[in-house]
Order: sequence, then structure tokens, then C-alpha cells
Amino acid sequence: MAAIPALFTSPPSIRDALTTHTSDSQDETVKVCQPFLSGQEPGTRNAYGIPHLSRDRHIKFLQTQLGELPGAFKAMDPGRPWIFYWCLAALTLLGEDVVSYRERLIRTVRPMQNEGGGFAGGFGQDSHLATTYAIVLSLALVGGDDAFEVVDRKSMWRWLGSLKQPNGGFQMAVGGEEDVRGAYCAAVIISLLNIPLDLPTDSAAYSAGHTDLLSGLGEWISRCQTYEGGVSAKPGTEAHGAYAFCALGCLSILDSPHRAVPRYLDVPRLISWISSRQNAPEGGFSGRTNKLVDGCYCHWVGGCWPLIQASLGGLQEGPKAEDVNNDAAAEEAGDHSLFSREGMIRYILCCCQDTSKRGGLRDKPSAYSDAYHTCYVLSGLSSVQHKWTLNVARTDPSVERTDKWSVSPFKEGGQQVFDEEDRIRTTHPVFVIPQQKAEDMLSYFSAKTGF
Amino acid sequence: MAPKSKASSKAAPIPESKAEPPPETVGERSTQRFYKTNTLQKRCEEVGLAALTPAEKKTYSHAQLIIPVSQDRVPLSIKAEREYWKQVSKENLPIRRLRRNYDWGQDRQGRQLDTYKLADFGERSLKQARLAALDILHRRFLAKRDKARKEGSELPAEEVEEEKKTRAAMAVLRKELYGKITGPLAQDPAWDDVVPIPQAEPEDALARIAYPDDYAEAVSYLRAVMATEELSERCLRLTQLVINMNPAHYTVWLYRFKIVKALELPILDEIEWLNRVALQNLKNYQIWHHRQLLLDYYLPSISSDTVAVKKLAKSETEFISRILEEDTKNYHVWSYRQYLVGKLELWTPAELGAAQNMIEDDVRNNSAWSHRFFVVFSNPKETTPGSLPTATDPKVPVATIDRELAYAKEKIALAPQNQSSWNYLRGVLVKSGRDFATLAEFTEQFVSGLGEESEDVKSSHALDLLAEIYKAKGDKEKAKLCLERLAAKWDPVREGYWKYQIAELEK
Repeated sequence: MAAIPALFTSPPSIRDALTTHTSDSQDETVKVCQPFLSGQEPGTRNAYGIPHLSRDRHIKFLQTQLGELPGAFKAMDPGRPWIFYWCLAALTLLGEDVVSYRERLIRTVRPMQNEGGGFAGGFGQDSHLATTYAIVLSLALVGGDDAFEVVDRKSMWRWLGSLKQPNGGFQMAVGGEEDVRGAYCAAVIISLLNIPLDLPTDSAAYSAGHTDLLSGLGEWISRCQTYEGGVSAKPGTEAHGAYAFCALGCLSILDSPHRAVPRYLDVPRLISWISSRQNAPEGGFSGRTNKLVDGCYCHWVGGCWPLIQASLGGLQEGPKAEDVNNDAAAEEAGDHSLFSREGMIRYILCCCQDTSKRGGLRDKPSAYSDAYHTCYVLSGLSSVQHKWTLNVARTDPSVERTDKWSVSPFKEGGQQVFDEEDRIRTTHPVFVIPQQKAEDMLSYFSAKTGF
Repeated sequence: MAPKSKASSKAAPIPESKAEPPPETVGERSTQRFYKTNTLQKRCEEVGLAALTPAEKKTYSHAQLIIPVSQDRVPLSIKAEREYWKQVSKENLPIRRLRRNYDWGQDRQGRQLDTYKLADFGERSLKQARLAALDILHRRFLAKRDKARKEGSELPAEEVEEEKKTRAAMAVLRKELYGKITGPLAQDPAWDDVVPIPQAEPEDALARIAYPDDYAEAVSYLRAVMATEELSERCLRLTQLVINMNPAHYTVWLYRFKIVKALELPILDEIEWLNRVALQNLKNYQIWHHRQLLLDYYLPSISSDTVAVKKLAKSETEFISRILEEDTKNYHVWSYRQYLVGKLELWTPAELGAAQNMIEDDVRNNSAWSHRFFVVFSNPKETTPGSLPTATDPKVPVATIDRELAYAKEKIALAPQNQSSWNYLRGVLVKSGRDFATLAEFTEQFVSGLGEESEDVKSSHALDLLAEIYKAKGDKEKAKLCLERLAAKWDPVREGYWKYQIAELEK
């Protein structure tokens, strides 16, 4: 068995003498993760000292989450659509066919759609961008005309217009908070549903001079980049990993990332900040400076990397078939990743898996698994196991809504610390559902003229 | 029909069966009663039809034969019927008798009622009677209230209170007897005119939650009043009920704000209430958005009253500080604080001091550093409106820049590997537009003997900044060395990033 690199088993080489609350909790976290990282926990491990992915247990966990939930889940009453998305997306990543959920999903989400447009967290609640985003993605995941037809696009368009703010951003709900999540969720919804961009004339943003649902959005996002280089929820607050992903995702919808991201963000500072999120020895990512690792940032921060690479690299040829199959050629190319893939994989497979009967993935070993972490840890795992390349950029962003991406297993740099059987399915770096599912929905709605 | 002798026509006397023990359960009593009213049935079952005496046989079979007519299963002509009854009374045949296997039904736990002990069953019947009696009282109340309302008046409060007690008692009985839940709102006469809208979803809905009864009831009423857009005192109470059960319910917050506006409620009372909710729900963020809506709405009404504004600023910042003591990096609380500073123009030494105190407590608290940056570099008096945080702003006074650089340096000295203070230092420098080289001397003190045997690095962040400083100076080799040492030794988890930086140097 290859030794586990000291980087992932020993404390960092520089340590300040001064202890504070922050350093205490950091030390505590390292202590909790350490036995998992160094292979002291029971269970079989591969040649690199890494446990296998407990696929079956995670699948069972996700299926349970989609079934009847106890009363203690009432706090999720306004966020149930998230459970649909997290579970369906994660099951898909694990190779499960979720088409069988189509009819149930359709029946379940119908009462959540409001006449005034958009989907709420539940029947009789207000429409919300986050829950609408989760439902649109869930419908895309199960696919099929019946599922697509659930969405009332005309009222959706009107509702989106009512959320658009004079400053270019989006409120999460009518009268709700305005933040970068809103920008990303709205952009995804507009893009996948092929919502006409003309702003309804009764929108407050229209009165402020906007004529387009997406106009001014990039400018608004640029106001959210902080002095640290990361992105905050709204202008003036602290940089946070989840918002960095939302900002990059949103910008990659506004235009091809190699154009949109440098246009609106200071890319070198952003990369420096994102890179700083990776912790050693844990290997995982934190959401903010001096905060703790959390498995969900494998997506929110880890998922930034393909978009960053695309922003930097511009257009690239898709991987040639012979390269993909020729490991030696790939290895020779060297690992040009801007982050430690190995660290991330180690954190995910060693620390984030609940290996008990319960299954599912988690924040860190001291936490219980849940659908949210299962989804985003697996999204991160998929992202780190693959390489996304931007092949063809849209020529006219005002007409075309997407670019062409290609994906291949990441095999560069020689050493692959996980076994092939633990490689999971791919997920689109912007929409966070499989590329084919996103394209199916896009082409269905693109074929429509008018609503 | 041939006339029969009187003696033989009379039914044979029923042989006395052994004295049976008194029944214990409802079922046993039913069985005993069945046999009592079905002559000879038991004896026939015990010894068989063939073993009966001829007289018994006759009585038994006649008793069986009359059943279809007595149960109206066979219609007779008037004449035949007369004849039938003549025979029945002549032979004294049992017409009114109980059927076997009477179904008593089951209770709410699914237990068959015929397994009940007689005493328990009696008690149950008594409860049913009590419920019926209460129902009469309840209906009388409704009728009386209807009448009063028609006459334009309301019933006195005592009667309403009495009715509440009646309903509470009814709810207890209904639950005990039938397992039916009558929630507290259905028990409250104030809600009688609202027809709750229950959750609409299919039986096999995905991730269906088994909502607790009180929550399910409350949100059913919430749907109903929201559907009619009712903005009233009772709706306000309802929102409080729902918020207490589920503060993450964003809809109820937005609705509550509409009510607060419509009823013109005193905003300070609402904030007072919100404080208690916030302390109980530290991680909730709807609370903070609600608070922001309240302030946006309230401020214009007091903007000319500087004393009131100052008082508000004081109470708000005090409360935020209290919350931040409990949860020092709470994202939503800090965001609200930034909102408040902008809204109330708290670009003050006190506000700077508040952030400073948090940094003194924990120099690694990045939220506090971020707040400080906001207070200093968004102050409209000292900065260019719209200047991005990542951009140079020539309007910032030199004294401010110097003060902030000095502050960051002082904190870096305390814990050189603390990235928060380095990020701050760098952020200030970008704002100032000064050359990175101006930080060379300060930064170099954390690094010695780079690339040599004696190499010592107190801060990887210093090394990172040095790479940038040397690059700006045009000293690529030195910059490269910094980056190489970061990749190899001082920050190897970011090796890929440092290598990318090296590649950028070559460009």
C-alpha cells in the first residue's frame, strides 16, 4: 500500500503560538478528521489508503429521503423542493435512473406552482427563486414532455419580471432578500426554460430603465466581489464560497465564461481566494477565510474550478478520443489543476461518507449525513473526477444561451488515488445536472415560439 | 291445516341450561343475549338437531322457518300474513331476537369494541353522552352568536371563554373516543368563520412530511387567510404561532410584514418581539430580512427626529453585538449590521470600535475584518461612490490608509499565519493605489534565508505577498523562488495554484 502523503496526515508546517476561538475549533476539526484521513478508522481501503464509495448505502439513504419523512422535518416544509433536487441529482450521479420518479414528481410539484408564476416551497406558500430553481432542475432530471409541460412559462416570465430589481439583481421572492443566489437561480431558470428576455413593462426594473431580464446583472455581481477576492451574498458583505459559485454560474450563463468572468470579476484575486479555501491536512474546502472545512464546499468551491479553468483557458479543442483512451498521453500532459484533486478526493471519501447503515454524505465526521450534503459532496466528487472543457462559445450571447462543453475522465498527472469503480457520473458545471438532461430541456423549450 | 291438539301445539318447555357466569365483556354479553333470545339454539349446537326431542325439534324448526318473513325477506299477502301471525302467537315463537355476530365496531386504536370490559364500555358510552351534551351547548353558542351578530352585537367575553372551555372538553373527548384531532385554532371561536385549507398533495408525494398536528392546522389556517388577503390582529397572532413552530417558513414572514404595515403596528414593539425570536433561533436568516424590511419602513417616519434615530441606532447595534457574542461569525447578522451602517450612516468611530472589539477577541474572525473594511471603505464621506472593493479609490484620505495599514500590520504581528489580517492589508493597499513594494520591508520580516539551509518562514501569506512584490519590482527570479518554496514546503496543498503563478510569471 502506498503511504498516505504527510500533507494529509500531519499539521501544517506553520502554526502561530497565539490561540483564539477560531484556532481552537480548527484544531478540533483536524483532530476529528485525522483518524479518517490516516486510515485508523475500520473499513477496507484501496492502495492509496482511501475507502471506497459506499454507493449502495448512499443510494438507499437518498431513496429514504424521498419517502415519507417524520414530523421533525417540518423545518423543511418551505424547502421541500430542495429535497427533490438534492436526492434526484445525487441518485443520478450515482448512476441511478430517476425517470421512475417522473409521475410522482409531477404530481408533487403541481400544487406548488402559483398562478402568479413560479413555484413555492409548498402548497399555499409564496413563490421563491430557490424552490423554483430546485423544481425546474428536478423536472429536467426526470425529463420528458409531461414534466416540462408542468411549468407555466408565461406566468414564470411575469413573476421573474417582478423580482428583477432596479439595480439589476433579483429578489428571492416578492418582497424577499436580494442576493447572488437569486442572480444564479434566475439565470438558470431563464436559460433552461428559454424564457423571453424582454422585461415585463410592469416590472420595477423596467421603470428604472432596464428592458432585459438579464441586463445589469453582471454589473450587480461585480459589486459583490470583496477586497478578499471572493464573492459575497450582496455588495458589502463577507466573501463566501457558495456565492462564488453562484456568481460564476450566473456569469457563465450571461455569456461564455472566458468572456463574462473577466468582464465582471477580478479573476486573479478570485482565484487566489478560491485557492485559499482548500485546507490541509483535511484536503476539503472551507466557505470563508478562517472557517472550517465542510463537505458541501466540495461543490460550492470545488465546483468553481471548471468554470475558472474555462475562464482562463478560453476555447479549447475537445479531448480527442485517442487521448481519452490513452492514459500514457494524458499522464504525460501533467496535472495542470489549480487545486489539489487528491486532497479533495481524500476529504470526500475518507471524511464525508457515513459508513454506518444510515449511509449518505456529510459536512464532516462529527456531523450527520443529510440530503443536502449528499448532493453537494457527490457533485464535488464528480467534478474532481472529470475534466470539463469549453469547446464552442456562443457567437451571439443575445441569441444563444449556452456554450458547448465536453467532458472526459480526469486522468492527467499520472496518479489516480481513487479506484475506477468509484468514479461517478458527470454533471454540467453550470446547471449541476447531467449535460444531456440540461440539453433536453433546453431544446424542448427552444423549439417553442412564444409561450 | 289440520287442527292440532292444544297440548302438542304449544312449544315444549325450554330445558334450563346450566347457570352461566355473568358476562365480562361486551362480546360475551352479546353472545349470552343471543342465546337468550334464540330459543333452543344453544342446545341444538351442543347436542345436534337429531338429538332434540320431537317437541324441541318442532319448536326449533318452526322458529327457523319464521325468520325470512320476520326479517321482511319474504313478502306475504295480507291473508297469508294474518295466518302467519296467528301461528306465531299460537306457538309463542320468538319473533324478536338478536342476531349473532353483531358488529360493535372498533375504537381509534383499532381494538374491537366487543373485547371491552363492561365497565370500560360503560365509561365510553358515558363519554359519548357527555360529548353529545357538549355539542348541544356548542350549537346553542353558535346560534346565539349568529343571532347577536344579526343584531349587530357580539356575545360577552365570558360566554366566548365558556365556549372555548366547551370546545376544549369536546376536543379531548373526540380524541379519546375517535382519535380525531381538533386543533387549538378550531377550538377558538375567533376562527369559526375561516375554513382552513389543508395541504393539497397526493398520497405518494415525494419527501412527504408527517406534519405534527398543531403545525398542519396552523398552516391550513394560514393558507386560508392568505388566500383572502386578510390583514388583521388575529392573522398577526397566527403568524407568530407559525413562526414559533417553524421560523424557516419564509412566506409567513413576508405575510407578517404586510400585516404590520396594514395595522400600522408600533415598529419598536415588533422589533422587541423579534429580538426574542432571534435569540431563540440564531441560525435563522428570515428574521434578519424581516428586520431590514421593518427598518426600511420605519426610518422615513422618524428621519427628522435625530434623537429617535440615534436611539434606534444604539438599540440596534447593542442587540446585534449581543447576538454576535453568541455566534461570532453569523453571516446574516453581520450582513444586517452592514445594512444598518449604510442605512443609519454609522460611519462612526463607535462602529469601527465594535468591529475592533471583535477582532481583539479573536484576531482570526474574518467577519469582523470584513465589517471593518466595509465601515472604512464604504463611508461616503471618505470614498468615491460606487468604487468597487477590489479597486483603487483615490478619494480615501492618506491618514485613513495609514491608520488601516498600521492596524493590519499590528494584528499580523500577533499571529503572522492569520490570513484575515493579510487579506485586509492587501485590500487596503489596493484601495490606496500604493506600490506593493511599500510593503516589502514589513513582509520580509516573516521570511528569512529563503532557499537556503536556514530557511525560516513565519507566514505563507507573507511569502505569497512577497512573490507579488518581487514580481511588481520586476525581480522574477525572487518571485519564482517564493512560489516554488510555497509549493514545495510552506503551502503544498495549493501546489497547483503556486505552479500556475510561476507559469504566469513566465508570460
